[in-house]
Amino acid sequence: MPTQAEVFQKVQTALVDALAVDEADVTPEATIVGDLGAESIDFLDIVFRLEKAFGIEIPRAELFPEDILANAEYVKDGRVMASGISELKKRMPFADLSKFESNPVVQEFANQLTVNDLCRYVGGKVGAN
Amino acid sequence: MRWFWIDRFLEFERAKRAVAIKNISLAEDYLTDYMPGYPVYPQALVVEGLAQTGGLLAGEVNGFRERVVLAKVAKAEFHLLARPGDTLTYEAILEDVKSSGAICRGISRRGDQIQAEVELMFAHLDDRFQGVDLFEPAAFLGMLRQLGVFAVGRKADGSPLDVPPHMLQAVRG
Amino acid sequence: MYFSLIDRITHLEPGSSIRALKALSLAEEYLQDHFPRFPVMPGVLMLESMYQTGAWLIRASEDFAHSMVVLKEARNVRYGGFVQPGQTLTISAEIVKQDETTTSLKAQGELDGQVAVSARLVLERYNLSGRSSEPPELDEHIRRRLRENFRLLYTRPAASSQVADGSPAK
Repeated sequence: MPTQAEVFQKVQTALVDALAVDEADVTPEATIVGDLGAESIDFLDIVFRLEKAFGIEIPRAELFPEDILANAEYVKDGRVMASGISELKKRMPFADLSKFESNPVVQEFANQLTVNDLCRYVGGKVGAN
Repeated sequence: MRWFWIDRFLEFERAKRAVAIKNISLAEDYLTDYMPGYPVYPQALVVEGLAQTGGLLAGEVNGFRERVVLAKVAKAEFHLLARPGDTLTYEAILEDVKSSGAICRGISRRGDQIQAEVELMFAHLDDRFQGVDLFEPAAFLGMLRQLGVFAVGRKADGSPLDVPPHMLQAVRG
Repeated sequence: MYFSLIDRITHLEPGSSIRALKALSLAEEYLQDHFPRFPVMPGVLMLESMYQTGAWLIRASEDFAHSMVVLKEARNVRYGGFVQPGQTLTISAEIVKQDETTTSLKAQGELDGQVAVSARLVLERYNLSGRSSEPPELDEHIRRRLRENFRLLYTRPAASSQVADGSPAK
């Protein structure tokens, strides 16, 4: 069972390789999109590298809850409602959604995913301690 | 200049791996000036040859229903310049195919020398490109046949690849 | 020039940065195959236009000292949009670091203010006579031809009448 430090190392390597950034840029608080410059095509690359590095499968909906963000039950006027926030929390228990909650604009959702969120997600899947 | 950067498939294993060759000839018009006084095969066209090898391999997984385009070159390393008279052998290994796209690793060799190595990502054009076709069905099928996809193509059990029925239908009308 | 993937250099700061443009036209025959029903500039030609732009910056910066300026490595080449016939791609490149033989550059191609392609490139420069049994006269010949090609792409602005980017001084 990998340690959290080992998980971070592998996630860091995957992001360095996929995004051509320096290791020093990949801090736990860095946002994948804002700080590391990831674009939508990069997510396919990141997901593949993480799957390979950890021997796991990453169903798209677990990291990219497009179905929730596009659902009229949960979203109104481009903002996610309280019902949607609780769905997101259920789908993504590893993610720190507090910042998003304070300004839940749908377009901004992808921008708030951090390296830490990814580490916690992967860590949860491999049972890291 | 046409836009065919592979000449023929030597191997084509569904969803796994394909090998194609590209002959480089002084008769290719752009070589008269690239580079002036010393013809060399553009490295960008090596990337394209590997992308065509891998892209057709990825496309065949879904019976060529998806519109597969090159979306990212994660990495490309070039070790030597190929020259007229050389034959490059392109090996594409399909790492993964998802609904949004595919990932492939490619190696270009000149004889037993590694000429270049690439990591490519393809995207399947999505609903933003609704109604956009890339190819005319009969010509596309003709191109696949010309390249030998169905002559050398094999499924996992070793049996020959067939032309997808929807493509035959599109051609017959 | 066959296989020139840039049409004009608009801005040149030797040792530092360069801007060029690539106008895409339906007259370019390969577009009939890419794609027959949706003609767009192939991604690898967008890569080639960035490489060529960077190569001219290097050559101009060192007064064409080396006959060969070749692409060694490309990383994180990302495509953000299609370039269609009638559109013009603005390519820019800047030197990130350089040593005796290699130059690392950051490059991108913009279309109407949006980034259509970006990449990190490593270019290597050398003379053939230094690496092979080719005679020095061949390097000299290539360098001369490259200078001629450069003149087709770049008109050096006169000191007083024009600003560095080729536009008339105010």
